[in-house]
Amino acid sequence: MKYIASNLLVFFLFISTILAQSGRTGSYIIEDITMPEHLDAETGGVAFFPDGRLVACFTRGEVMTYNPETKEWKMFAEGLHEPLGLLVESNSEIIVLQRPELTRIKDTDNDGIADRYDKISDSFGISGNYHEFNYGPVKDKDGNYYIALNTASSGGGFRANPRGELNLMGRDSTTGKKQMYSVVPYRGWVLKITPDGKTIPFASGFRSPNGIGFDDQENLFVTDNQSDWVETSTFSHVQEGKFYGHPASLVWDQKMKGINPFQLPIETLAQLRTRPAVYFPHGIMANSPAEPLYISSDQRFGPFAGQFLVGEMNHERIVRVMLEKVKGEFQGACVPFYDKKGIHFGNNRLAFAPDGSLYIGQITHGWLGAKGLQRIVYTGKTPMEIATMKVTKKGFEFTFTQPLANSNAIQKSDIALRHYYYKYQKKPFTEHIDKSNQSDIQEVEIRNVTFSKDRKKMMVQLPDLKAGYVYEFKLNGIRGKEGEVLENNLICYTLNNLLP
Amino acid sequence: MNDLTLNRNRGILLIWILLAVACQLTAQTPAKVIRLKAVTGMQFDKVQLTALPGENIQIVLINQDDMPHNLLITNPGKRQAVVEAALALEEKGPEMNFIPASPDILGSMPVVYPGDSISLVFKTPEKPGAYPYVCSYPGHGFFMYGVLYVGNNLQIPDLEKDTHIPESRRVPIKQAASSVTKHQHSTGDERLHPYDTTPPYLYRAFLEGSGLASIAVRLPGKLAFCWDATACKLQFAWAGDFLDNTDFWHGHKNAYAKVLGEIFYRDGTNYPLRIGHKDAAPTVEYKGYRIVNRYPEFRYIVNGFEVRELIKEQSDGLGLIREFHIPAGIEPVWFVYSGNDGMRYESKTGKFSGNNQISFSPQEAQFFTITMTR
Repeated sequence: MKYIASNLLVFFLFISTILAQSGRTGSYIIEDITMPEHLDAETGGVAFFPDGRLVACFTRGEVMTYNPETKEWKMFAEGLHEPLGLLVESNSEIIVLQRPELTRIKDTDNDGIADRYDKISDSFGISGNYHEFNYGPVKDKDGNYYIALNTASSGGGFRANPRGELNLMGRDSTTGKKQMYSVVPYRGWVLKITPDGKTIPFASGFRSPNGIGFDDQENLFVTDNQSDWVETSTFSHVQEGKFYGHPASLVWDQKMKGINPFQLPIETLAQLRTRPAVYFPHGIMANSPAEPLYISSDQRFGPFAGQFLVGEMNHERIVRVMLEKVKGEFQGACVPFYDKKGIHFGNNRLAFAPDGSLYIGQITHGWLGAKGLQRIVYTGKTPMEIATMKVTKKGFEFTFTQPLANSNAIQKSDIALRHYYYKYQKKPFTEHIDKSNQSDIQEVEIRNVTFSKDRKKMMVQLPDLKAGYVYEFKLNGIRGKEGEVLENNLICYTLNNLLP
Repeated sequence: MNDLTLNRNRGILLIWILLAVACQLTAQTPAKVIRLKAVTGMQFDKVQLTALPGENIQIVLINQDDMPHNLLITNPGKRQAVVEAALALEEKGPEMNFIPASPDILGSMPVVYPGDSISLVFKTPEKPGAYPYVCSYPGHGFFMYGVLYVGNNLQIPDLEKDTHIPESRRVPIKQAASSVTKHQHSTGDERLHPYDTTPPYLYRAFLEGSGLASIAVRLPGKLAFCWDATACKLQFAWAGDFLDNTDFWHGHKNAYAKVLGEIFYRDGTNYPLRIGHKDAAPTVEYKGYRIVNRYPEFRYIVNGFEVRELIKEQSDGLGLIREFHIPAGIEPVWFVYSGNDGMRYESKTGKFSGNNQISFSPQEAQFFTITMTR
């Protein structure tokens, strides 16, 4: 008995230590995954086999499996060229996107180590520029794969022996030396690849689209990273044939044959462009967003079903995105998730384990970041968070995950609100690469704040609403029913459209 | 001011320079020049500096990294606070060079872009102490810092024991130097992966002299070869060490995996296989490879016919053994080589003809072996 008691004491001390590390509410617990020795844990992809094992790929070409129960790491595949994404097909088969191709990797003799590496598609160009990273794949219900191809960096040239046709119109070398470029096919595109390898250009206009993911309704979303032509990082609903703003990729658009996209007037490009569903304000929300992961209704990760979690490289956080459809288009809000509570930098890849916990794969790859894997477990205790934010006729409606304790005490002055917009423009030659311009930044006066009877909703009325603006709220003074402070009080809504 | 280099024309920089010049003009003694480099991996090359109290020093920051960096000198113990204040600038950071308004910042220089250098003239405080210097570019300040020890008769702690420097740098000098310039040679003397890499094994990589989708294979017997997965052929082979992947794996600059050792063979043909037609170079398509006893067996299509090729070492290390399968058994096959590639070719089957060709009947082509010896 004594032995058990002392063990129990140790156990409780252990649990309380974990809880103490996990922030005030104890709704989530974070832990570092012990990585195997001699692995440079620059994580390019994370997924789970149906049998519960984790599978991850790393930039030195390793594909490793990890058994969360035994904590054992094993090699599954090796020798890949900068794999930055993977998808599980079965307990013995994965699809990996590496620099030269989309590859089907299979263990055919069931010894736990892959023995077949079959090309699915290599029908896209490689110029040799270091920045031509490849992201994905994700798969639709018909079995088609979708991948996103980074443009090349103006910080580097290209090789004399590119793979694919060379088209120098994809590079603006006169007035825009800092612009990313696309001199080989489909850099800056999202491609659709059929199961038998047919490769179809799907959507264009991306700069550095380090994140691709589906919701549960076959809507495809892609994140893109701030800099030239991308005034702040974006989260876009990607549809076939559409263009999302970075001109370089347009050289590979059949309709634009012979046209130098960099010479098109900005008005023309703006007309062609589809706006992002959500802007991530630079320096405020995210600077380098990565993989979006949809939280389906069967996930046990807290009260956020139907929303996305998005990795972020430059903050010790991930970001949560909530969407609604207004005038037929997605728009919505982003809010930090698990901000500075033990999460590292470099949050590149996200995956839910079969047990409902979230695994985060981190990367630096020469930029700001971190290495390794972390895991966040939902304890079942409802966090005090903004559940949803929606536009109304006269302002915005916030729904909280818990009834508010103090709705009577909340004043208009507790809510800080600014609005601004991000201009679609070519980055001036002399401008800092990290410079993000917010246009027409203004403090916005709040007309009125009211609450629903159940104290779960807060309605904020404004004098007017401006389409095309980002509304950045800081909600102060909000407390949950047990006095909990709102975990993340910064939220930014991209108001593409007003309610009809 | 000879050390002052400015490669960019920025008004804001000019102000710093003018200030620096002004400081220097008023100084009684010429400043001691300290050259500091920003290097790969978000680090300063030096993490301990020394100066006398009240001494004029000129810190020249040479940015050899591929990210922008700045440099701030703070009061003792205030690095973290200043770094956090810089982060809190949020979107205003870039225009302020990520330098927050803080009485704890004793000196600062603006953002230095890759390849540029900027100098800061600075009069050290009269009060002895450990003054941190740090890059406050968002996120960098947690890793990228060092310490300026100010005092007379300074006792500088050993790197291993110096709590004022990043943990990763608390290693003896020799080791520190190698950790900054550590090279990832695949020579077997250092574990680069969490598993055994006894040859044979492979890397898909960029290799100079081959297509951009290439496969480098390490063979037993200190041999290696590069197989081009676009051209679908063996491009070259070498003897000695395998590859230096340091720059290639870094991922943030154009780089090749560097071949170590001596290249003893380069393919000198348009294409080494002909199926059905002897003269025209065929159309090819890469399909993949399977692993057979850790050797890759490449699979590709030549003129519509599947070819499988597995390349092994000769046990004496003098060359390669290439096993070809062309299972269709419908068309005759020619293996073509260059007469002046320094290799001797042998095959137990097929017929050698005068002009560097070996011909195989459709049945023979189902499995044949070419031995190449240097």
